[in-house]
Amino acid sequence: MNRFQPAVRQHLNSTRLLSVIAALVVLAACGGGTSSTGGLGSGPLLVGVLAPFSGADASFGPRYLAGCYAAALSINGAGGVGGRQVSCQQFDTRGEPADAVPAANAMISSNSNLMGVVGCTSDEASTVVPILDRSHIPMTCMTGQSEFNKTTFKYFHRLVPPDSFDAYAMIGSALFGPGHAPYKNIALVFGDDIGSQTFVGPAVAALNKLGVNIAINQAIHLGASSYRTEVQKMLLTHPDVILTETIGSAGTYLGEVKQLNGGKMIPFIGTSATIDPVWFKQVVTAIGLPDFEANYTAVDLALSLQGPGYDEFVTQLTAADSKYSGSQALTYKGKSPTVHLYDGIILDALAMVAANSSDPTVYNPKIFDIANGVPGATVVNTFKDGVAELKAGKSIRYVGAAGENNFNQWNNSQQGYNLVTMDKNGNEVVIGQLTQAQTQQIIDAGGNA
Amino acid sequence: MELYVAALGFGLISASVIAIAAVGFTMQFGITNMINLAYGEVMMVSGYAAFYVNQAGVNIWVAMIAGALAGAALSYLLNRFLYTPFQRKGTNLIGMVIISLAASLMIANLMLPLVGYDTSSYVIDQGQLLRWNGLVLTAAQIAIIVVAAILMAAIHGLLTYTRLGKAMRATAANPTLARNCGIPTQRVISVVWLITGALCGVAGVVAGMDSENFSVASGAGYLITIIAAAVLGGAGQPYGAMIGALIIGLVTELSAAAIAPEYKQVVAFAILVLVMVLRPQGMLAKRGALAAAG
Repeated sequence: MNRFQPAVRQHLNSTRLLSVIAALVVLAACGGGTSSTGGLGSGPLLVGVLAPFSGADASFGPRYLAGCYAAALSINGAGGVGGRQVSCQQFDTRGEPADAVPAANAMISSNSNLMGVVGCTSDEASTVVPILDRSHIPMTCMTGQSEFNKTTFKYFHRLVPPDSFDAYAMIGSALFGPGHAPYKNIALVFGDDIGSQTFVGPAVAALNKLGVNIAINQAIHLGASSYRTEVQKMLLTHPDVILTETIGSAGTYLGEVKQLNGGKMIPFIGTSATIDPVWFKQVVTAIGLPDFEANYTAVDLALSLQGPGYDEFVTQLTAADSKYSGSQALTYKGKSPTVHLYDGIILDALAMVAANSSDPTVYNPKIFDIANGVPGATVVNTFKDGVAELKAGKSIRYVGAAGENNFNQWNNSQQGYNLVTMDKNGNEVVIGQLTQAQTQQIIDAGGNA
Repeated sequence: MELYVAALGFGLISASVIAIAAVGFTMQFGITNMINLAYGEVMMVSGYAAFYVNQAGVNIWVAMIAGALAGAALSYLLNRFLYTPFQRKGTNLIGMVIISLAASLMIANLMLPLVGYDTSSYVIDQGQLLRWNGLVLTAAQIAIIVVAAILMAAIHGLLTYTRLGKAMRATAANPTLARNCGIPTQRVISVVWLITGALCGVAGVVAGMDSENFSVASGAGYLITIIAAAVLGGAGQPYGAMIGALIIGLVTELSAAAIAPEYKQVVAFAILVLVMVLRPQGMLAKRGALAAAG
């Protein structure tokens, strides 16, 4: 041992101490500005609206932002989240994954007070959901992609069913719909493109499990000038009903069904995409209005647009319409995304209050409990009522503007479906309901695919 | 078996529509040396011309004449004011193809604001559904087959028995020699554009009748099948185009009956590729299928 060693040892000890202190500081910084020791913290809170505001899907962003404005006003009007005022900010993904990733990263790195994110459509969800999940940011997404049906992303929440669940709803309409006995022999006629074929797998699985006969499963090439052979092939199987979408070719196909069936139409059930003026016009032109009205039904998201939760939503949306001039918020009062994302933000806020924490790792699990309710939970319809009940020591179930939510183990919620038709002017008319339980029965039969 | 017989009948309808179009297309190439990629758009414009006449209360079979006239006029004008000036400057074949592609895009985009994005449909009485030994056809579909047969017979008569037809064949074989023999080749070419344009117009109308609805986007969809039928039969060969149309029409429908319908276009084009490999000049042409006329 030489005379320098004590100095070296002291230096090394100081260095180690400095390293430990530095590590602790880094760990604290990684908490993202939230308290890991409890409490709602202080300062404003931000909801990021991560969606297309430009590009082909530019119409999506504003309707999501409107929902956010309404939710923020509802929360702030009740005193905020532990006194913290909520605001909304848009982050434009342009509907392109290449633009969505930098937008998401910029949103996260620039805002340590993010309480939640809404939006994430099918345009960008595949790329941004992993980023948000890694950063522990609760998100309420509008994507209809099936890849999230059994997601392992804990911070992902979806209050609208995936697109493919239309298939289950169509089967529900065939089995439980009004005005007819359950159909026993079902023809599936969808386009041969990936988007259309999304419905077929779940439909086939569910029908097989439920013991319903599939008369024919026909994939047709959309845009063809005629489908006479395909129609004849289908007619030879004598189906009771046709489940279809066939955007752009429905008029041709169904017109030939009527023609080759001796002038008689077979009942047909469409996806929610068929509730469209162009589809309506094509099919009515091909088969005539009387046959259309007698034989067409479709499925649509169950959105009752009534009740105290919806009333509060409309009140706040009206306030947002005048406060944020140019937002045209009130034009979206009947739009499913606006209504559902409003509920998503209220759920996030109530979860924070229930957990008494602004740490997403703490309050994220509460979102599930408040949406589904725990035994003995008190039903509340507004943020204000929810906070009051929580302060009184009660557990709550939030039934909001869009009605009840029912998260499954993958944080996907469905509320059943409306069974609809269209009147002579192409306006949607609700003719029946598929309950959440009926829909779930078919989803389970189909394997939740 | 019943399905296959029905498919045979449906194939005849498809073949009829394709034949009317393909014969006009291949004659344009054979006689004027022009691969006209705007052909589908001319069909679409003609279809709309007939549509508006039909909407005014005129029976579609009569409105078809308006379609034929529109097709003839548009084709003539395209050649007169667009194609011929470039050909006179010595633009090569590829260059002319590009120009015709530009013409097709211009026509489609000019039509969009005029007619809109929605599909349109003719007011047509399909008539009684007739069943005979497995064949299932409406009266209107039988009429389409008859119209196609009459037009094919008329083309045959024109080419074989008329002076104009002989002049057209001579111009196609060797325009320089034809000119030197006193045949007014420029006038012949103008008449060819009028006649093939009229065929194109009729094809546009029957295609619209066949598919129950059509739109501006339909034009591009027609072209691929037309070119396939023309090449299959031998480019520049009207009789080859008729055979090509028959093969494609029948094969697509029979394959939809035998295999899954999503493969019917695949089968049709696989047959085309097979024929091109085994007989590159097409079924009837004596030279290479893409060799220029004359």
